[in-house]
Amino acid sequence: MRKKVIVVLCSLCVVLGFFTLWSAEGAFRSDWQLPAAIPADEESYRLVLITQELETPFWNKVGTGAMTQAAHEQVNLAVWGSYGNNREDFLKQIEIALHSKVDGVIVQGLDTEEFKQLTREKAAFYGIPVITVANDVPVEESLRKTFVGSDHYQAGKMLAEQLIRDMPAGGQTVLMGDIEQEYSQQQRLQGVTESLAKHDEISTVYVESGKSDEDIITATQHALNQNPGVQAFIALNANHVGPMMKEISRRAELEPYHLYSFDDGAETASLLEQGKLDAMIQQSPELMGEKSVELMMQWLRNEVVPLDSDGYITDIRIVKGAVAQP
Amino acid sequence: MNTIQKKIWMLALVVLAMMIAIWLTLTFYNQKMQTQYNDILQRYLQMNEVTSDSQQMVTDLNNYLLMPSQDTHSQLENSREQLLIVQSTVYELRNVENEFVLTNYSHLISSFVETVDRSIRFQEQEATEASLKEFTEATRISMYISEMTLTIIDTELKTYERFYREIIDQSAELKKLGVWLLLLITAALILFTYFFSMSITKPIHQLTKAANELAKGRFDQAIHVDTNDEISFLAETFDHMRGNINAMIVEIQQKAQLESELQDSKLLLQQSQLLNLQSQINPHFLFNTLNTLSKKAYLDGAEETSDLIVSVASLLRYNLKRMDRAVTLSEEAFVLRQYMEIQKARFSDRLQFFTELDAACMNLQIPGLTLQPLIENAVIHAIEPEEDGGHIWFRIKDVNAEVWIEIEDNGKGMSQEKRLQLLDGAIIPAEGHSTGIGFTNVVKRLQLFYGKEDVVTIESEIGQGTKIILKLPKIRGTANHD
Repeated sequence: MRKKVIVVLCSLCVVLGFFTLWSAEGAFRSDWQLPAAIPADEESYRLVLITQELETPFWNKVGTGAMTQAAHEQVNLAVWGSYGNNREDFLKQIEIALHSKVDGVIVQGLDTEEFKQLTREKAAFYGIPVITVANDVPVEESLRKTFVGSDHYQAGKMLAEQLIRDMPAGGQTVLMGDIEQEYSQQQRLQGVTESLAKHDEISTVYVESGKSDEDIITATQHALNQNPGVQAFIALNANHVGPMMKEISRRAELEPYHLYSFDDGAETASLLEQGKLDAMIQQSPELMGEKSVELMMQWLRNEVVPLDSDGYITDIRIVKGAVAQP
Repeated sequence: MNTIQKKIWMLALVVLAMMIAIWLTLTFYNQKMQTQYNDILQRYLQMNEVTSDSQQMVTDLNNYLLMPSQDTHSQLENSREQLLIVQSTVYELRNVENEFVLTNYSHLISSFVETVDRSIRFQEQEATEASLKEFTEATRISMYISEMTLTIIDTELKTYERFYREIIDQSAELKKLGVWLLLLITAALILFTYFFSMSITKPIHQLTKAANELAKGRFDQAIHVDTNDEISFLAETFDHMRGNINAMIVEIQQKAQLESELQDSKLLLQQSQLLNLQSQINPHFLFNTLNTLSKKAYLDGAEETSDLIVSVASLLRYNLKRMDRAVTLSEEAFVLRQYMEIQKARFSDRLQFFTELDAACMNLQIPGLTLQPLIENAVIHAIEPEEDGGHIWFRIKDVNAEVWIEIEDNGKGMSQEKRLQLLDGAIIPAEGHSTGIGFTNVVKRLQLFYGKEDVVTIESEIGQGTKIILKLPKIRGTANHD
C-alpha cells in the first residue's frame, strides 16, 4: 500500500514535471527579437526612386534593378511615386523627398514647370543630386546631374524603320501623342518623323490626345474618321495603346492595321504577346535602375565628378509581336 | 541531530522558497512583457506627438506673424524646443526595418524647423512677402509630417503586430504554465509531506510496537528505531530502561533460585539432624558407657575389644559433632579408618580394605560424614551378602584442579537403571545405616557445599562391582553457605 502510494505520486510528479517543462519551454521561448536598433550617429545613404507609374511592369523592373544595385552598394533605397500618372502626387513625393534631405533622388523626368522648379530650386537649395531615369528633362531646364535611359530619338527611328519594312508599299500612318508632350516623347516623334520623311510613299498624320481613356478613344475615332485609309498607328505614349486598340477593334478587324508602340506602358507587353501589337521598342529597365543607382553612388562618393550630363544611354531593341491570333 | 522541529522548518522553507521563486519568475517575466509592450506603445505616442507639436508650431508661427510680440515669440520658441526634443527621441527609435523612413522623418522635421526659422528671420527683417511664403511652405511641410506620421505608424503597426500577437500568445502560454506548475507543486508537496510525515510517524510506530512487546513481558528484545531525531533519543532511553529491567529480573530469578537452594539445604540438614537425634537416645550416656566398657575390657585383658569400643566411641563422638560443619579430608579419613576397624572386627577375613591416599590432598575441606555412609553402602552391598567376603578400595587422588575420592568394591554391582535412579535420588535408603544418612543425602550435601552438580559419578556393572567417584574441586564454588 505504502509502496503503491509512493510509486503513484512519483510517476505523477514525473508526468507533471514533463508537462511543466514543456510548457515553460513554450512560455519562455524568446525568439521574437524586436528589430535591431540603429545607433544615432549611424546614417547610411538614402536614395529615393520616384516614378509616376508605380506597379507597371516597366517601372517594376526599374525598381528591381535599382534595389539590386542598392543592396550591392549597401545603401537604402525606397521606390516612391504616384499611381497612374498622378502628377500632383508625384510632385508631392519629390518635394517630401527633398524636404527629407535624402542623399539622392532618382526620378522619372517630367517635362513640366513645377517639376523643373523643384529640381532646379529645391534640390539645389538642399544640395541634393537629381538623376532622371527613363524619361529625360533637358539639363538646362532641370539641372539634373545626368540621365539614365534609352535614346528616345533613336528609338523613334528604329520603330519607323520597322514600319517601313512592314509596309513596303507605303500608306498612311497615324502618330498619336499627348497634348502636353514630354521631352522624351518629343524626341520619339522627332525620330519617327525624320525617318518617315525620307520615304514619300508613307504619309503621316499626327493626332493629339488627352490623358484619359475617353480622350484617347475620341482621338482615335477622330483619326479614323478623318483618315479612312490609314494603315498604321504609332502610339508615342505606350499607355495609349490599350484604349486605342479597343476603339479600332470595335470598328473593324484589328489585323490589317499595323500597330507600333513602346514598352513603358501598362498593357504593351501583354498586347505584344497576344500579337495585337506588331512591334514595340524594348528598353532595358533593370539596367536603368542599376545604372542610375550606381551613378548616384559614384557621384555621392566623389568617384566620378562630374557625371556626363548628356546621359548614359541604355540598350533598346525592336521586338516583334507574335503571329496574330484570329 | 535532525530534530523534528528542524524538519518542519525545512518543509516550510522549501515551500516558501518555491513560492518566492515562482513569484519572482512570473513577476519578472510579466514586467519584461509590460516593458516591451510599453516601448512599442511609446513609439506611437511619440510619433503622434510630432504631429501635434508641428501643428502647434504652425499655429504659434501664424500667431507670431499676425502679431509679433514677446509673448507669441516665446510661445513659438517653446513649441520649437518641444518639437526638437521629440525629434531626437523619434530619431532614436530607428531600427533596421524603419531606418529609411525614420531618418527621412527626422530630416523632414528639421526642414520644417528650418523653414519656420527662415520665416521668423524674414519677419524680423520686415520681408513680409518672403516670410509668408516660408510660412506657406512650413504649413505644407507640417502637412507632410502628419501624413508621414500616419504612414510610419501604419508600417510600425505592421512591424509590431506579430510582437503583439506573440506577447498575447506568450501570456496564454504563461497561464498554462501556471496551471501545470500549480499541479506539479501540489503533487510534489503531497509526496514530500508523505515522506515527511512518515519520517515522524514510522519511529513512533516502531516505538509503540516495542512498548507493546514490553507490556507483554518480553524484555529480551532490543528496541531498534531507524531515525535520528528526538524519537531516536526516546527509543535509546527506552531501550536502556528495558535492559535495566531485564537485568533486574534475571537477578531476582537468580536470587530466588539461591533462596530455594538454601531452603533445600537447610531442610536436608534438619532432616539429618532429626535422624541423628532419633538415633541418639542419650549420646553422652552412651559415650561414657562405651568409655567405661573400653576400660573394663582393657582391665580384663581384652585389649582387642577395648580398641573396638574406643573406635565405636570416637565414631559416635564424630557423628555427634561433625554433622553441620566442614572437616578436613584427613579427619574424615581417620573416622573412616575407625569405622573400618569396627567392620573388620565384624567381618574378620571376609573384608579386605585397601587405601591409597595422596597426602597432598588431605587438607581439602569437605562436609562431615560424607565418606562413611558411602563406605557403609559398599560394606552393606558388597561384603554382607557375600559369603566369601569382598574387597573395598578407598583412594584419594590429585587430578588437576580436583580431588578424586574413589570408593570401589567388587560386589555384585548394579543395573544401569538402578544406577540412574540412585543418582536421581529416587531410592529411599533402606534401614540399616549406622548413621541413618543415605547416599542421596551425601550427594545433595556435596552439591550444595561445592555449588556444582556433577560431584558424583557411579561406575557399575552387574557382577563387576561398583565404583563411586567423588570429584571435589580444590577451590569451592560460589554457592558456599557454610
